[in-house]
Amino acid sequence: MTSRRDVTLTYTVLGLFSLIALAPIAGIVFTALQDPDGLAGFGRFDGIHPGNFADAWRDGNFGQYLKSSAIVTVCVVACSVALSVLAGYAFGQMRFRGSQVLFYVLLLGLMIPMEAMIVPLYYDLRDLRLTDTYWALILPQIGTSVAFGTFWMRAFFRSVPRSLVEAARIDGASSWFTLWRVLLPLAMPAVLTMTVLLFMWTWNEFLLALVMVTDEGLRTAPLGLSFFQGRNQTDLTLLAAGAVIVATPVVVLYVFLQRHFIRGMLSGAVKG
Amino acid sequence: MAAVRFTDVDKRYGDVDAVRRLSLEVADGEFMVLVGPSGSGKTTALRMLAGLESISGGEIAIGDRVVNRIAPRERDIAMVFQDYALYPQMTVFDNLAFGLRRRNVPKEDIERRVQTAADLLGLEALLSRKPGQLSGGQAQRVALGRALVREPQVFLMDEPLSNLDAKLRTQTRGEIKRLQHEVRTTTVYVTHDQVEAMTMGDRIAVMNDGLLEQVGTPEDLYERPANRFVAGFIGSPAMSFFDASHVAEDGAARLRGQDVDVRVPDAQRLPGSVTVGVRPEAARLWDAGRNGIVGPVRGTVAYVEALGRETFIGVDAGGSRLAVHQEGRTALQPGDSVEFGFVPDRLRYFAVDSGEALG
Repeated sequence: MTSRRDVTLTYTVLGLFSLIALAPIAGIVFTALQDPDGLAGFGRFDGIHPGNFADAWRDGNFGQYLKSSAIVTVCVVACSVALSVLAGYAFGQMRFRGSQVLFYVLLLGLMIPMEAMIVPLYYDLRDLRLTDTYWALILPQIGTSVAFGTFWMRAFFRSVPRSLVEAARIDGASSWFTLWRVLLPLAMPAVLTMTVLLFMWTWNEFLLALVMVTDEGLRTAPLGLSFFQGRNQTDLTLLAAGAVIVATPVVVLYVFLQRHFIRGMLSGAVKG
Repeated sequence: MAAVRFTDVDKRYGDVDAVRRLSLEVADGEFMVLVGPSGSGKTTALRMLAGLESISGGEIAIGDRVVNRIAPRERDIAMVFQDYALYPQMTVFDNLAFGLRRRNVPKEDIERRVQTAADLLGLEALLSRKPGQLSGGQAQRVALGRALVREPQVFLMDEPLSNLDAKLRTQTRGEIKRLQHEVRTTTVYVTHDQVEAMTMGDRIAVMNDGLLEQVGTPEDLYERPANRFVAGFIGSPAMSFFDASHVAEDGAARLRGQDVDVRVPDAQRLPGSVTVGVRPEAARLWDAGRNGIVGPVRGTVAYVEALGRETFIGVDAGGSRLAVHQEGRTALQPGDSVEFGFVPDRLRYFAVDSGEALG
């Protein structure tokens, strides 16, 4: 039994940390809503002026940046999720020669940071005449995302009771059908969580975009925000509004998908 | 329906032999139980038959067809798993229909067969539920139903009762036996529980350490165990053993061991020293009536297991612990001295070194 005092203490601690975590976000939002002609100060609340967003959108060319980000992110996430599910299924459920070694090779992609490979990657892509195209942003990020995604989905497929797959095999289902109709419905929480993570990482990727593209029309939102900051050193309100615009899609996706994180789909499948 | 034949089947994992030269025939329509302790290879044998494990050597045939290289879904088998393995996102109906849909059975046929199986197993009210909403016993019946609707050549069951509580297990045991009797489908049933094996199997194959020790009817195994392992594994409480010398004595024989000196009819030619196997019912208290028993043998009561209708008394004598059967109850307590005797023609003899049955 937890006593009333314990509960109070728990909530106090949790509340405090929530406040610490949320304060900067609230600060940015408040700053973005400040009177553009008033005295700018971080986190100061002096009424709601949504016009700042329109100004930032126009001044910062965010329409273009968000479009680029959306193209890159949707391509990367869609391809990575599809490939990760397939690769995770293979590594998690199938036995084949060299699977261990291959899996470790894949993990390298997870362990080597973008900073370490960005220079050779730039030269490679330049040789392929892909710099300054969307491909330069999409292909490398599919590579790194699949490393994580495979790792993530393999863990899920390994946790599925073997007997479930075997039952499907005996019942006459092919590997493909087993994945599609038996396992994937169970994997939805794992797939959606992975989707959110990959979306967030891809959306926020800065270094790759900075190195690979110079064309204004290809710049992604974080890059745009950075250039916008360079031009608006002094206008804190507009900068905050730009930051909020760039962050919103990720937040919206998270809020939308987290409701679908259905847990416990497996409960009752097998005695456990 | 079809017969099943294992011919010299091996299964190796690296250096470990899980199954060694297994040869076993299961007749068409027979209920064969594979029984043995953990690691005896019984589940591996079943999984090889199912096609879930490759076969390292030998040959497995279902009917006239060698299935070594045939995929599980083409073997026309249905399997009931220990953890049921129901598809959690599908209703009971869809679980039952899954295998039929994969085989392109016409829709009306699926309906009919699922209904028939549901009637047979009392699942009508559960058809629209999902596995998460079923009790253990219900999930178990759905798992059986999923095998039943397929109307396969062979049923494979891998310890299907081990997740049920004792009462439900006894009940389901009878139910599976009844179903199998009705549909007459060849069944291979794996269990580590010798009571399940004895009550369900037409014949039983006892496995130990990858080897098939003996195949026979429950009565064969109980009355005529091929070796000490089978003798000790089948029966509850288990057969007890003690070592004795065997000396011929004017038309009969004398068994002499520590604490033991009894005259037995010399029906068999036995070597000088033997291991004597005693079923609990082949040992009776001396006072309870000396008719037909030889003895007495003195010992000390080690434990008393009173089951109500009968009592098993563990007695330390002859250098080992022997179980003695007694109708009804007893006033004996652990530590008491006691005298008992043997039913001479119920004693079994085994070679001291190899453990093989003698006589």
